[in-house]
Amino acid sequence: MGAIYYLMHPRELRSIVQWKLWHEPVNRRDPKTESATLQECFRFLNMTSRSFSAVIQELNHELLVPVTLFYLVLRGLDTIEDDMTIPLSTKVPMLREFHVTMDQDGWQYHDSKEKDRELLEHFDCVITELKKLKKPYYDIIKDMTFKMGNGMADYAQNTEMIQNGVQTIEEYELYCHYVAGLVGEGLTRLLVASNLANPKLGERPELTESMGQFLQKTNIIRDIHEDWEDGRRWYPKEIWSKHVERWEDLFDPKYRTQAVECISDMVLDALKHVEDCLFYMAGMRDQSAFNFVAIPQAMAIATLELCFRNPAVLERNVKITKGDACQIMLESTQNLQVLCEVFRRYARRIQKKNDPRDPNFLAISARCAKIEQFIETLFPRQDPKKLSQEARAKQTQEPTMSTSETAIMIGVVLAVLLTMTGLMVGIAWFMGARFDNTFSDTAKLFSSSAGSAGSPTSITGRDEL
Amino acid sequence: MASEKRGDLGSVLVIGGNGFLGHHIVNQALSSWNCSAVASVDLRCTRNINDRASYHECDITDAAKLTEILNKIKPDVVIHTASPVASGDSKTAHDLFRKVNVGGTQAVIEACQNSGVKALVYTSSASVISDNENDLYNADEDWPVIRGAQQKEYYSETKAAAEELVIKANRQEPSKLLTTSLRPAGIFGEGDVQTLAGFLRAYDNNKSHVQLGDNTNIFDFTYVGNVAHAHLLAARLLLATAASPMIPLSHERVDGEIFFVTNDSPVYFWDFARAVWRAAGSDKGTEGVWEISRGMSIVLGAASEAFFGLIGKPPTFTRLRAMVSTMTRYYNISKAKRVLRYEPLWTLQEGIDRGVGWFMEERKKDEAKKSQ
Repeated sequence: MGAIYYLMHPRELRSIVQWKLWHEPVNRRDPKTESATLQECFRFLNMTSRSFSAVIQELNHELLVPVTLFYLVLRGLDTIEDDMTIPLSTKVPMLREFHVTMDQDGWQYHDSKEKDRELLEHFDCVITELKKLKKPYYDIIKDMTFKMGNGMADYAQNTEMIQNGVQTIEEYELYCHYVAGLVGEGLTRLLVASNLANPKLGERPELTESMGQFLQKTNIIRDIHEDWEDGRRWYPKEIWSKHVERWEDLFDPKYRTQAVECISDMVLDALKHVEDCLFYMAGMRDQSAFNFVAIPQAMAIATLELCFRNPAVLERNVKITKGDACQIMLESTQNLQVLCEVFRRYARRIQKKNDPRDPNFLAISARCAKIEQFIETLFPRQDPKKLSQEARAKQTQEPTMSTSETAIMIGVVLAVLLTMTGLMVGIAWFMGARFDNTFSDTAKLFSSSAGSAGSPTSITGRDEL
Repeated sequence: MASEKRGDLGSVLVIGGNGFLGHHIVNQALSSWNCSAVASVDLRCTRNINDRASYHECDITDAAKLTEILNKIKPDVVIHTASPVASGDSKTAHDLFRKVNVGGTQAVIEACQNSGVKALVYTSSASVISDNENDLYNADEDWPVIRGAQQKEYYSETKAAAEELVIKANRQEPSKLLTTSLRPAGIFGEGDVQTLAGFLRAYDNNKSHVQLGDNTNIFDFTYVGNVAHAHLLAARLLLATAASPMIPLSHERVDGEIFFVTNDSPVYFWDFARAVWRAAGSDKGTEGVWEISRGMSIVLGAASEAFFGLIGKPPTFTRLRAMVSTMTRYYNISKAKRVLRYEPLWTLQEGIDRGVGWFMEERKKDEAKKSQ
């Protein structure tokens, strides 16, 4: 995006400048104290992740390394899963055994053709660093690797789904659970174990699950075009078949309206997780942990708004502008209330774009209002105790009009009065009335009536003049 | 549905059982609950008839006749929904509101106490905590009731007064009568003469391209079937309390308590209107909508009142309407969900489809009559 774009959108430019100049990381890495292998791990992190590397590296030192290594282990699994050149007979046992592999000193893998293959070629660095972790963190990572590896292996073998795509919403959510829900589970356990988050979050797994579902569903909605080109299909048939008969029809310009309505349906489904996500984030006890979880969530709601009723999603990969991204990062690195305002703003934008002809029109409107209602429960702007006191105070007062109403009424009356006076004086003048004596006459009238108040003769007396 | 009943209600009497909300309660009691009998007392018992219910014409302000009927029917539970249509600001309208809402309710309470009724469920209104001027954000039962000079709608004043009488009558010795009051917000559905009728009138008069305010104001509308459901749940729980020797714990108590009832699904005011218009056949989007700011709407309302005042006719548009359609007014119904175990049975969209469908049917019938 060139200079001209930012000339037209100075507010976005301002956000970028603000973020670059004023964002002060809560924590910074200290490369001097890091071993060579750990530095190598951070290099892999920067290489494999665009969106997460910055927030991870600002994390509280207690979790900086555990989360980095957790990410790299998952990225390693992901690389194996995505690599179509590895035969299934090799891939499946590799995925299922990865939690054992991560214990083997010096393990490397050189047969991958994926773009992130360098990570697997030097995976021994990750293994070395994993062994230095505190036991509780290590155990969590190992357990999650086991669960994720097996989940991925199940999907790799699920030829029925690969060929026919996801059928039901339940299947769709199960898929999101394996690719994102489990990551969320691992992170929540790390956050709780390090006391950076409220331990109650451990008792509410559905909140963690929603965090992952919301992010993953947003990605799936946004990537529809890219996935279609790659022959993948994550939109569940249960949803898209309400709008078009065949999957390909979604990309046929003839069915643009239906395709846009299908995306609305998907957005509506994703938005059901928002309240859980906000509630989850209220459980953060550390600024860096809050930023870490809040930035991706805020980006997700902005992305949903961007995709909502946007036919471009069907033709290319849409992305939030850099200016908007910086604005969101500024607002999601402060506190929950500021973050809630981001959610409210995007909910209202979705509501504003909503079209009455969309079959889910009212449901979407109600969903957006529900988000606002939930924010109201977190940060109520009305206090019934205060309202009751005010009502009691008013009850004892004289009934009066509110000041704004009174001002409007006075304004209207004055305006009418002035216009009418002007008009009448104008007409009188036009008809030849003389005003030069008016004031002296009026003065005389007042002085005479004041002189003999209540006496009718004074008025008749004047008439005789 | 008929095979799975929700519970026993004994003998049920619905006051206003031929009215908008009342006849839905009669129908639901008969279709979804086990009742030994369902009766209706109404001013006129000609419309909204269910063959399996019995009907008794009576003006509820006639205390003697009402007591006589109750002594004859001997209902276990009375559901009092009767109320005049909440429009009109004239002296006669005010007198009617007071006479029926306050006087009538007092007569109902006394008749219940004198004839050994176990439970009384009263239909109040969510508007009793609104002054029609200040917004209400997620309001619940702790919000103060707006009374006297602060309450600009006399109808709401009389509903609040009646609710107070009903709640005071709970466990009022020597009577064993248990009472509760429900406050539904923005009821709509089949047989509705206010909410849907108003939106459909605007649509027929080609006013659907006008929007007052910026449509960020959130409002509660409630499908009448859900309101009926909440009443029957409350009736069931009051009867259960009456059968128990103990007074329930405060957090699960229904008697002497007040509950807001909505669809638990607040929406942006004009989105609801557009959904109604869509159901009535509109194919318009939101492009070309003429948005009049809130301040301007109120000035126009005042101008319209002044104009119609001069020509001596009731105004078609008022400041009150301008304010109500631009204000935020939605409720938190956690208490009803927790204590009554209430959940809406129909979504807003289902409610609109049913309600607007009913209007369309009625119109067809009217046209058929005319062409005959």
